[in-house]
Amino acid sequence: MATRLQFENNCEVGVFSKLTNAYCLVAIGGSESFYSIFETELADVIPVVKTSIGGTRIIGRLCAGNKNGLLLPHNTTDQELQHLRNSLPDSVVVQRIEERLSALGNVIACNDHVALAHTDLDRETEELIADVLGVEVFRQTIAGNILVGSYCALSNRGGLVHPHTSIEDLDELSTLLQIPLVAGTVNRGSEVIAAGMTVNDWTAFCGSDTTATELSVIESVFKLREAQPSAIVDEMRKSLIDSYV
Amino acid sequence: MTPNVKRPRRKLVARPVTFSPFARSAAHLASAYMIKRQMIENKLHESCQHTPNGKCCGQRNIDETDSDSDEESSEGVVQADFAFFDPKPDDFHGVKTLVQTFLDNEEWNLSGFVDLILEQTTVGTVVKLEDEDDDGLFSVVTALNLGRYKASDIYMQLALELDHKCMKELEEYILSVCHESNLVEQLRLLFSKRARDVGLLVSQRVVNLPPQLLPPLYDALFDEVSWAVEDEPTEELRNSFRFKTYLIVTKIYKHKKANGKLEKKADNEEEPVIYVKAEDELFHELSSWSFSFPLKIQHVTSSEATEELRINGVGYGSRSRQNPHIPTAVALSDRR
Repeated sequence: MATRLQFENNCEVGVFSKLTNAYCLVAIGGSESFYSIFETELADVIPVVKTSIGGTRIIGRLCAGNKNGLLLPHNTTDQELQHLRNSLPDSVVVQRIEERLSALGNVIACNDHVALAHTDLDRETEELIADVLGVEVFRQTIAGNILVGSYCALSNRGGLVHPHTSIEDLDELSTLLQIPLVAGTVNRGSEVIAAGMTVNDWTAFCGSDTTATELSVIESVFKLREAQPSAIVDEMRKSLIDSYV
Repeated sequence: MTPNVKRPRRKLVARPVTFSPFARSAAHLASAYMIKRQMIENKLHESCQHTPNGKCCGQRNIDETDSDSDEESSEGVVQADFAFFDPKPDDFHGVKTLVQTFLDNEEWNLSGFVDLILEQTTVGTVVKLEDEDDDGLFSVVTALNLGRYKASDIYMQLALELDHKCMKELEEYILSVCHESNLVEQLRLLFSKRARDVGLLVSQRVVNLPPQLLPPLYDALFDEVSWAVEDEPTEELRNSFRFKTYLIVTKIYKHKKANGKLEKKADNEEEPVIYVKAEDELFHELSSWSFSFPLKIQHVTSSEATEELRINGVGYGSRSRQNPHIPTAVALSDRR
């Protein structure tokens, strides 16, 4: 299910939060209602952690992560690093990396299996992404934009990309990522998809300016209708049984 | 009929239209040349002739002599043509950015408010570049009738509940920040019984918009209000523009120590209040009453603003050493 919300009158929720299948990071300093909307949706399933990165609130754009790990930029303070290590589940590897392009959320787009990276990323960073996040890394552009992390939002079940992505690019990326992709907008025509929304396998959070059409596109491409955290397991079980018959 | 035939086009030397740090330093350079430019411009304006489509030939000469035809010049001066347009639904994001801090950092239905502004195409102006494709919005000015967004009966109330929540939240916010009890009563009256005669004047713009645009901008607004009184299709709409009172919510800088204490070594020119928008000073003088309240947002630009004041040489030089206390004034003025 997709939820609409805003952070201090600002509809760019993907900037102030980071959602994965194993945890959710939320910026500090927002009103309690912002935090509580996440809590209500995610309550017992995954931990919702309030944090800052490098003293800033734009955590969604500074870090990149999935259920296996979390990558933090070099300007993350030691206290923040320690706080994250303590609050996140032990299965999540938290790593601070030295990378010139420090807005990792803007240069890396990833789900649990595959990642798209900025073309100018260091070789060591690419290897770290593959190690820490446990993904296959592809250097790509989206609609000619090198900031792949900003212009697409990915989950394991689908992806939403920049509205001006051509059909050929869509097909190419879809083959690479092995998930269905759709070109669309969020927050009433905003092209910066990842800034306007954040998504995991069963839920999505979008800015409150998102129109009903945009929301229905999001719900259909990410397969969020009727999605529950347990549904993934149930569905898998059904398919396993089928294969025996 | 293009939207800006009735509006005079202003060809002005303007500051760069981008917001990068480079653009800011270019703007500071530009201000140094502004005075010299204005002198040249004044001379040319006197001698220029108007072609049929309103362009001023004199201006073109400046273009040629300066070789300033492209965006960036070595002198940091950029030519820009501003035009006034009626609000359109496409202007949503631009207007929303400008109106973002209208109610301080209060969480309210800002998008609904912006929608209301854009719905009212007959009264209201947005300032954009001449080129129709450009989406960048520099200013928005409009007057909204408070009474129109109130429900006359319970069914309308239910229907309006979602859409016009923003006006209710706005009124509640203003009532909550007003600490003068006599004014609270007057405000309550304005928001309930007299709401049909009250116009909320919304005027937001980018900080470095050339001030030469302001007189025609406000003229346009008040002209449109008087035209609407005659031209609107329904009786109700016509009456809704017969404003008896205008309500303005705006931002000013107040000297921290200005509350009562006399500074021994203060300059005589030091003013206790700095108006972010020049016309606010006039509105404040003309207003029937006003009150101010402190803002909660820490404005990042406060030091830049004081720096700019210094550069413009308005005599607020000593201001830069203090961190101004930043309240907002609500001023009320009678209809002209």
